Amino acid sequence: MIEESVDFLKSKIGKVDVAVILGSGLGKLAYEVEEAVRIPYSQIPNFLRSTAPGHAGELVYGKVSGKYVLLMNGRFHMYEGYKPRDIVYPVEVMKLIGIKKLIVTNAAGGIKLSFKPGQLVFIKDIINLSFRNPLIGPNDEKIGPRFPDMSSPLSALWIDKANNAIYESMKERLESGTYASMLGPSYETPAEIRMLRKVGADMVGMSTVPEIIKANHVGIETLGISCITNMAAGVLSQPLSEKEVLDVANSVSKRFISIVKVIIEKTC
Amino acid sequence: MDYVQMVKESVDFLKKRVRSNPKIAIVLGSGLSVIKESLTDQTKIKYSEIPHFPVSTAPGHAGELIFGKWKGIDTVLMNGRFHFYEGYSMKEVTMAIRVFQIMGVKYLFLTNAAGGLNHTFEPGHPMIITDHINFMGDNPLIGKNIDEWGVRFPDMSEAYNAELISMAEEAAKELLIPYYKGVYVAVSGPSFETPAELRMFRLLGADAVGMSTVPEVIVANHGGIKVLAVSAITDRAIPEGLKPLTAEEVLEVANKTGVQIAKIFESVIERLGEELK
Repeated sequence: MIEESVDFLKSKIGKVDVAVILGSGLGKLAYEVEEAVRIPYSQIPNFLRSTAPGHAGELVYGKVSGKYVLLMNGRFHMYEGYKPRDIVYPVEVMKLIGIKKLIVTNAAGGIKLSFKPGQLVFIKDIINLSFRNPLIGPNDEKIGPRFPDMSSPLSALWIDKANNAIYESMKERLESGTYASMLGPSYETPAEIRMLRKVGADMVGMSTVPEIIKANHVGIETLGISCITNMAAGVLSQPLSEKEVLDVANSVSKRFISIVKVIIEKTC
Repeated sequence: MDYVQMVKESVDFLKKRVRSNPKIAIVLGSGLSVIKESLTDQTKIKYSEIPHFPVSTAPGHAGELIFGKWKGIDTVLMNGRFHFYEGYSMKEVTMAIRVFQIMGVKYLFLTNAAGGLNHTFEPGHPMIITDHINFMGDNPLIGKNIDEWGVRFPDMSEAYNAELISMAEEAAKELLIPYYKGVYVAVSGPSFETPAELRMFRLLGADAVGMSTVPEVIVANHGGIKVLAVSAITDRAIPEGLKPLTAEEVLEVANKTGVQIAKIFESVIERLGEELK
């Protein structure tokens, strides 16, 4: 069954240097692709369709900064009701296409008090508090091990290289932080944010962790970037809204794109 | 059948059966049914009569909606709630709250029996819930969002209405009822927590632990209903020297504390006064 998706995509695209999963409000990178081949999810055999606002639903293949990329514009979330196993289906497809590098991005709430809305942060580690795991169920040893190691879920080496590249072109470095994933879709309560801070989370969101787990399962090297779109509940005395999240994501979109382009050019 | 349609049919049925436009809904927890004595002009409707309503199976829980007047205000009371540990989906657990929302309820008062994690807590006292930690591993809003009911990503930064919390505090002080305030952590249950889990929850900032309330509160916030929730601290859920606990012991203490919580709620309604008329 997965072979159908893989064969279909192989017939549409060529070699891929890096795949990128685009988070909420970060989809504009898709417009920057040269020689773009757009493949709506609905055309791909066995692919899910995304319902989240701010998420399109297409793969975009083409050239960015001289490298061949496959962008996933529109991801699937557990709060939409998708099964974690289905959410990570595209990552398994990527593996079977031969993709070796994956950049995952998301919009996240800032837990670490020094973070500011609009800041971009490398994900150095994850805490899975979603009570779900995409690998539950029978395991296919041909795809990956039953018990994948998670001692280095995101490539520290890649973060270093990426930071060096960003420093060379922009004279700055990004901080790194631990990303905690919650189920959502209700935002966290202040008590939950205090809990997350206590257990070592720097930012929180409702995505990305399933894909990171799957990428580790299948052996794809992964780099994660969170866009801090808002301070998490209780940090500031104001309610959270989706509009704020998307507004901030949109406003840093340009900077986000420049940084991802540098990373693609110099490290992929 | 579509969930929206199910809720609509429940509402239609209830509107035919009762001439009440409840502004307040009350959800009673284990052993806390004493509160229902405060309602006058009662009309009782069994859950089993209401189309699509789940049926409650927990001990100490009846299974009926009671429509009536509470201090002169149209009120609906859920005598018996649905728990996640009974095997209901989150949508079933919270279906009544949706029905109340569509019927025009503006305030939701909830009670529950909870174990005190905070070591200063003595059993037999109310704890006004200021915030929660959802450790149930599920969320009632998962799935396609029903935009006419609420937004995709509801804010939870004041899930428990600050004004109602101060009113409840004033009430308790006036009535000379000793009370606590604190954070409620919800687990799925039905097994009680282990000492190691209790230590963890305390470390995570929880003051009391229970197996309910959080799903209803999430849906109420989604639907724009203001929430006041009070736990009856029924036992010390402290890891040091944890005593095995029976459901009967919990219910007995809950009953006693329920009387105090009923008084606090009544006084809050009086304070809300004109807003409700």
